[in-house]
Amino acid sequence: MPTILQYAYMQRALLVGFLLALLVACLGTVMVHKRLSLIGDALSHSSLAGVALGLLLGFNPIIGAIAACVVAAFCIEGIRKKLGNHSELAVAIVMSTGIGLAGVMSGFVKSAADFNSFLFGSIVAISEMETYMVIVLALVVLLAFFLLYKELFYISFDEQAAAISGVPVGVVNAIFTILTAVTISIAARTVGALIVSSLMVVPVAAAMTIARSYKTTILWAAVISITSTIGGLVLSFYCGLKPGGTIVLIAVAWFLILYLLKWLRGRLTSGNRSADGAKRASEESKGA
Amino acid sequence: MEKVIEVKDMSFGYTREKVLEHVDFYVEKGDFALIIGDNGVGKSTMVKLLLGVNTPTSGEILVGGKKIRSLKDSHIGYLPQNGGSRAAAFPATCEEIVLSSLYREIGFGRMPGKKHKAIALEALKTVGMEAKRKALIGELSGGQQQRVMLARVLAGSPEVLILDEPTVGVDAESVDRLLHILHHLNIEKNVTILMVTHDVDKAGPFANKVLCLSEGACNEEALPQAEIIHAHAHKHAKGEGAHIHSANCKHEVDHHHDSEHCPECNHHEHDHAHDHEKEGK
Repeated sequence: MPTILQYAYMQRALLVGFLLALLVACLGTVMVHKRLSLIGDALSHSSLAGVALGLLLGFNPIIGAIAACVVAAFCIEGIRKKLGNHSELAVAIVMSTGIGLAGVMSGFVKSAADFNSFLFGSIVAISEMETYMVIVLALVVLLAFFLLYKELFYISFDEQAAAISGVPVGVVNAIFTILTAVTISIAARTVGALIVSSLMVVPVAAAMTIARSYKTTILWAAVISITSTIGGLVLSFYCGLKPGGTIVLIAVAWFLILYLLKWLRGRLTSGNRSADGAKRASEESKGA
Repeated sequence: MEKVIEVKDMSFGYTREKVLEHVDFYVEKGDFALIIGDNGVGKSTMVKLLLGVNTPTSGEILVGGKKIRSLKDSHIGYLPQNGGSRAAAFPATCEEIVLSSLYREIGFGRMPGKKHKAIALEALKTVGMEAKRKALIGELSGGQQQRVMLARVLAGSPEVLILDEPTVGVDAESVDRLLHILHHLNIEKNVTILMVTHDVDKAGPFANKVLCLSEGACNEEALPQAEIIHAHAHKHAKGEGAHIHSANCKHEVDHHHDSEHCPECNHHEHDHAHDHEKEGK
């Protein structure tokens, strides 16, 4: 057995990392295509306000994070509808409020280490209880995601047309908001609030450079997210690096490599096309 | 002839100021109707009202004889403005996009089966895009994207097709092709078409009815076969009624005073339309 698997905490970290990577890839794909990439940032920062409140009042900070995330998510939806053409400001307003509240309340938290563990995560310090919580969450979110797959596809593609076709847009959006808020809260505990939003967006951006359909975009995003997470955990174990940051940097490397390959392929294809065109033109002039 | 859409003395404004006032018109089964007008006169607003997205301030809209609340249970297909260009950034195949409109047929929690894929393929065939069914929509030209969007609407087998400026941002050749597809659907499949457009010169010859929302946009030479209904939303000196007249009688009717009859020939406005034979059909 490899050394890394001999430790129970690493076994838990790998299992939780795998499940969370899968979840954030699925939800991230919908989020990116709804043009709401920054919502992950806003929610993860808002979750910190809930964490601080939990630590201050003495209840489980994860419960606080979930509550803060759900409230923040619905506030974003509500403000978006009110702001019309400037709806993107809703994310900035909620994120600023979340950061502000977290900043002020963290000043009253006695154990700064507890609060910081939510900022940067502590995937290698996950308890057995948290592992079970992630497993249950993963099953619920994945089931809901697959049941609502075509509704989420349609809403992401064209919300108005989806509503006209009979998709219960309000209900589906509300379910998606809750799923996202809960996932981000749990993921913030493990990979860190500052990193979870990157994991929601970067693998999807990388997947979009190679995918040939919506379905394969989700599959590629999941593959990139999982390999980044597992790769990051392994690398951080053997090289003594911070796991959260390593995971995100591997995802960014995936994006850069795939984008470069796409660019090179584009150059080669256009080069071949112009060479073919020149060849045809010279043959035609010879024929004439 | 069965009236599939009927707008009765309808007014609407986003604020106190009305965008549309006292508009009366109807579309019969098998009509190829256009809504034309300058920018900002309320063409897209009219479409939103017909779709039930907005609610009239006064008057009513009947779809299939029923008061419009939403189109969820109707057989109306809707192609939005810039539908194709909005799709361009979405990483989905043409088939996936067409299948999305079969939401109700597929059912909750289910994935599309062979039957649904066959419907999608048939819709793509109708618009001549079956060869591109596995292509990413973002890799197609603007005209091709618009045809795929039309196929998405057609997959739902609509009896009425509402299109909001489908020719905007599409090259001339693709506009011709799109209009011929619509003409084919109208003639061969008896699909009623209601299209908002600026392209009066190209779409005009296919239309048998035109709702003109501003004076300048109504070039009657480009509308050889059409009954023209004027509905100007500008305010009067004394009141806020809209002038509406039918091209058949050429007499002006002030709906503020008499919404039903033309004062000079004493014809019911809608009777003119009934009398009017649909040319070119």
